[in-house]
Amino acid sequence: MTYAREAHPCPKFEASVTMQRKENQTPQGKAASVLVEFLEVAITAIVFLKGFYPSGAFERRRYMNLVVQKARQPQLRYYIHASASGLLPFLLKGMVDRVAVIFFNSDNVPLEKFVFRFAVNLSYRSAVEEADLEISLRSFLSKLLVSESLTKKLTPDCRWEITCFFRSLPETGASKEANLWIPTEDTKQWEQPPLITPIRSMSSDPLFLQLYIEHPSLSASSVL
Amino acid sequence: MDSSSTRHSNSKKRKKNATTTNTNQKTLGVAWGSKSFSASSSSSRKSPFSDFGSYMAHKNSKLHNQFDSEASASSSRKTIFSGVSIFVDGFTVPSSQELRGYMLKYGGRFENYFSRHCVTHIICSNLPDSKVKNIRTFSAGLPVVKPTWILDSVAANRLLSWVPYQLEQLASNQPKLSAFFTLKSSKMSEDTFTNALCQVEPDYEDSFPRVGQPKDRHPSEAGEMVEVSRLIGNESNDIASEKPDVIEDPISERVICDEEKLAEANSSETNNERNTEGGLDPTFQEPSTSVSIPFSDNQNAHQFPSSEATGSSKQCHSTLTDPNFVENYFKSSRLHFIGTWRHRYRKRFPNLSTGLNDGISNINASDIKSVIIHVDMDCFFVSVVIRNHPELLDKPVAVCHSNNSKGTSEISSANYPARSYGIRAGMFVRDAKALCPHLVTFPYNFEAYEEVADQFYSILHQHCNKVQAVSCDEAFLEFTDAEVEDPELLASSIRKEIYETTRCTSSAGIGGNMLMARIATRTAKPNGQYYITRERVDDHLNQLPIDVLPGIGYVLQEKLKKQNVHTCGQLQMISKTSLQKDYGMKTGEMLWNYSRGIDYRSVGIIQECKSIGADVNWGVRFKDMKDCEHFLINLCKEVSLRLECSGVQGRTFTLKIKKRRKNADEPAKFMGCGDCENLSHSVTIPLATGNVEILQRIVKQLLGCFYIDVKEIRGIGLHVSRLENADTSKQEKYTLKSWLTSGSASVEKLKYQMGHNKHNLDCTNSASSHGSFHSQGSSFQMDNKIPNIQVSGDPISAPPPLCHLDVEVIRNLPSEVFSELNEVYGGKLIDFIAKGKDRCESSRSHGNSFLEHDAAYNQEELPYSDPIPRNKLFPENKAMQHERVPGTGHGSYSKDTPNSKFERDDLLPSSLSQVDASVLQQMPEDLKAVIVEHLPAHRGKDFSSTPDICPSRINQDSQGVNPSKNCPGIVNHALNNSLWAGNPPSWVDKFKDSSCLRKLGEIYHRSGFSSQLSSVLPQFISEFHQLDLIHEIYDETVNMMCELLRQYVKVKIERDIEEIYICFRLLKRFAAKSQFFFRVYNDIFPFLQAAVDDNYGGSLSMPS
Repeated sequence: MTYAREAHPCPKFEASVTMQRKENQTPQGKAASVLVEFLEVAITAIVFLKGFYPSGAFERRRYMNLVVQKARQPQLRYYIHASASGLLPFLLKGMVDRVAVIFFNSDNVPLEKFVFRFAVNLSYRSAVEEADLEISLRSFLSKLLVSESLTKKLTPDCRWEITCFFRSLPETGASKEANLWIPTEDTKQWEQPPLITPIRSMSSDPLFLQLYIEHPSLSASSVL
Repeated sequence: MDSSSTRHSNSKKRKKNATTTNTNQKTLGVAWGSKSFSASSSSSRKSPFSDFGSYMAHKNSKLHNQFDSEASASSSRKTIFSGVSIFVDGFTVPSSQELRGYMLKYGGRFENYFSRHCVTHIICSNLPDSKVKNIRTFSAGLPVVKPTWILDSVAANRLLSWVPYQLEQLASNQPKLSAFFTLKSSKMSEDTFTNALCQVEPDYEDSFPRVGQPKDRHPSEAGEMVEVSRLIGNESNDIASEKPDVIEDPISERVICDEEKLAEANSSETNNERNTEGGLDPTFQEPSTSVSIPFSDNQNAHQFPSSEATGSSKQCHSTLTDPNFVENYFKSSRLHFIGTWRHRYRKRFPNLSTGLNDGISNINASDIKSVIIHVDMDCFFVSVVIRNHPELLDKPVAVCHSNNSKGTSEISSANYPARSYGIRAGMFVRDAKALCPHLVTFPYNFEAYEEVADQFYSILHQHCNKVQAVSCDEAFLEFTDAEVEDPELLASSIRKEIYETTRCTSSAGIGGNMLMARIATRTAKPNGQYYITRERVDDHLNQLPIDVLPGIGYVLQEKLKKQNVHTCGQLQMISKTSLQKDYGMKTGEMLWNYSRGIDYRSVGIIQECKSIGADVNWGVRFKDMKDCEHFLINLCKEVSLRLECSGVQGRTFTLKIKKRRKNADEPAKFMGCGDCENLSHSVTIPLATGNVEILQRIVKQLLGCFYIDVKEIRGIGLHVSRLENADTSKQEKYTLKSWLTSGSASVEKLKYQMGHNKHNLDCTNSASSHGSFHSQGSSFQMDNKIPNIQVSGDPISAPPPLCHLDVEVIRNLPSEVFSELNEVYGGKLIDFIAKGKDRCESSRSHGNSFLEHDAAYNQEELPYSDPIPRNKLFPENKAMQHERVPGTGHGSYSKDTPNSKFERDDLLPSSLSQVDASVLQQMPEDLKAVIVEHLPAHRGKDFSSTPDICPSRINQDSQGVNPSKNCPGIVNHALNNSLWAGNPPSWVDKFKDSSCLRKLGEIYHRSGFSSQLSSVLPQFISEFHQLDLIHEIYDETVNMMCELLRQYVKVKIERDIEEIYICFRLLKRFAAKSQFFFRVYNDIFPFLQAAVDDNYGGSLSMPS
């Protein structure tokens, strides 16, 4: 089941999504909150990397002692931030399987998907070594920052969105946040299994994270 | 969004940023202020600044203001870092911004751009190799410190000494020991301080800044002292910044005294060095100088015009045939004898230098008149040989290498009767025989020379306490007028005594200074003496040919001759200024002085060699590069040996090569060098060394610079200059080494970090053992607290049996640890100590078990539920481990490095099973690899890469427990049948039988089992390549490899697709080259894609 955030967020989100790091004191909670923050940076990095917006739309920031980009445009920034932090409750429940940043062409056909695959070890009980986690995430990020060559050129007039793949249906109404995710039904799917180019895998208990790019396989792209 | 407008606003903003409060961006692009060209080009275009320099100045001042205002805003009263100004270089944890925050908060300064003047400490976690190599350029002598220094200082709420936090890359050779234990090192420096003080005292006439203020040493004048020590500290830093223990940190109250002393000690060292290096006596024969006295070969009567050469032993005459050519060469070299004689002399009369200095210090050279006697043996090399042949006394005799009548060797020394025939040193024997058919030639007799030289000097030392040795047969003596009534009488009595003892004659020249004494000797020879009184100086000099003066060589003489100057009298007529104009300041002044008989040198100043080296210009013939390299290796050994003898190390290495000139014929002298071009290349390294391996590496590199055909090489010389005293720079290293090799008992102690027997150790060593002490103590405590937690109930955590304890160790334990331990043993320990003096051998197993104990403890607390634990230590556990790691890690380090020196068995555990995996884990990669490599592979089964999953702490020696039973990490794994289960994975064992794949196991083994397959594959491929050609590829092999990969995919597919991707990209690349991998790849690829499809719903993209 996939849900997508709309690429052009409406203002109503602003009130609803808040970070609640303080309350998450389980190792998973800690890791998840770090992860959410990390995702926000990573997604921004991908969008920047693709050159979707002019580079002036970003400003340089330091994250985990790495130079990263941050969106300057408030809406863009908010969209990424809210999407990422909106994942938090689901991450904690272990419901999130993947998060994809998908780039579509003008016909709404996906051209490229950046897929984050998660696994959170729910049975992990020791304290999270934040330093270790940070080292892993940093190496993850630094690999991502230099992966431009693996990606494809954008076609003009494309769009992008953040899509989340849940393992199970979120209980609607259980929380406000769940309502922010819209089931995706209209997205065209590839007819052939995609080609996968791994970018980075990391495992730092209790968190396992992988990033790879999916491209339509050659035969599939000709079909579409 | 309109991109142009965005960009515009952005750049505006950026500009604003640069000058206002947001500092986040500033450090990003700029590494080294003034060099950062990009910064200049972008900003100066629009800026109103005239040039980059003013822009930077402006920027810096703004940054400073900014910092100041922020600092005052933070309104913290704490001033831990007052006076400290850091510059952060590169990536650090915590980041430079955080460090900046700390500096803001605690009264320090933070520099965005490096400047020698503002910055006091450079903070960085890692340095690129080039910066390490050129640390001086990089750091300008400032301390390079790890960021933890700041954190720890903040935590301790006071400024800690930065020394222990020095970057390991820089401190790797020795300071670690000393630096780690500041207490000890300061104590040590106190000693050197006092020593140095004594030595420096005499040098007071020299205008060293500190010397004028002896009072400053009184502790009461603390304030002033700080000033001074800072000054000196800086200075010594400039001079000897390589010395890692130079401390200049006058702020820290606590350590101030020590530091002061350190600084002073250091400065006085430098002072010493400077003085000794000061003026080089031109007459002094350095071992390295090529001396142009040719001499002969004792086997083959051929001729050679070489400037320095000798014969070699029996039949081996050239580098071609004699594997020990270099060694033999120097064994029979007279020049080598002279060159190395000085060291023997020093060793024989070691008390001289200090005694002399004391003497000098009391004398103000210009006031007190003294008389100098120059004593020189008459044709030493000949007369020593013929002293047992009285019948030859009046006959012409010469010494040369070869007695062969063909006469192609050279005369190296001839006696006076022979000289009267016109025979001179350097002549071919053939020519000499033509001049004097009844010339008798003798070979060298080095033992006799040594004996006579020793006798000669003991006589001189009996008569005079100020002796300056010039050579083995020549010396200056200085007497004050008060001491001596009649110098001539004294001289004759000395000569008489010399003759009676050695049966060799000598001559003496007496004069008011060394120059005149030497000139007098010239008149006195042979077997006479001559006194040039002050009145006679002018007369004597008037007609003296200028080439007699020391320092006037062939070139200078020719120049002067062109000016029609032949005698000193003529020289005197030229004014000092015009001499200095023509010949340079120094030479001009020297000429002016010497021509008037003025010589300010004083007797007894020990000359330090400026360079040490070895040349071989005879018998050098190489067939190919291999010959040449082999020769160089030996040459390096020789030079390294000489450096060691002299107790120095050098920074500049010069390789000189004599290359056969084009069209030059084979030289007249057999195996001589003939007509040659002299080429040389040199290199300077930042840290002085005498290490033979480093030498070899450098020399190899240097040789590469020549681009020369080795067949053309006729002579090679290697010289080391910029010498530094090895004692000061390498003290610890030396003692550590000697300590290690001094005896097996102490060796054992070291390796198990238990070295508490202080009797023969200096403070450095005791410092190190002191450190390990703590680690040991902590493990004891752990043991005591949890003796019964053990799930399996096996006795590992019980204390080792009494008989396994090392008395020496126990006895030296701190009392509280001892009493605790005594409790554990129920009070038996005291008795044990009383009787067991002879049980030192058991220290080994004892030490082992200690290590194993605490590791066992760690392991027990670990969650077994988790299949891939990485960092699973509980906080408290972790803390303990930290405590432990420095000691143990360190110990194992020493364990490893010197392993060529003694038996490996002694040092290393007999198998990997005895290695504490957690310790191993903490070690640097290379070290780890070496250790793993050195341990027997077949027993490596229970060794674990992740410290906790498989405890490797089984004490086989003392407990006799089967290791596998104690590995709970492995036992319950679902992957039991898998090739990748266990640690090391079971395939390593299985593949042993396969000739090809065994290699993979070995490589994997070497990597310490911790690496992923992708990191091992490339190496395997490169080694496999040869195998591929030799062995046939069996289907079975392919199948095994496929199975291995298949299972690897299974293990990794879910969580680490990246690793699989890398492996298969590699495989694909190898498949193009290797038939074997082609088959493997084709076999396994479908499986891979299926697995990826299962897990990821796609296929791996494998671009070619």
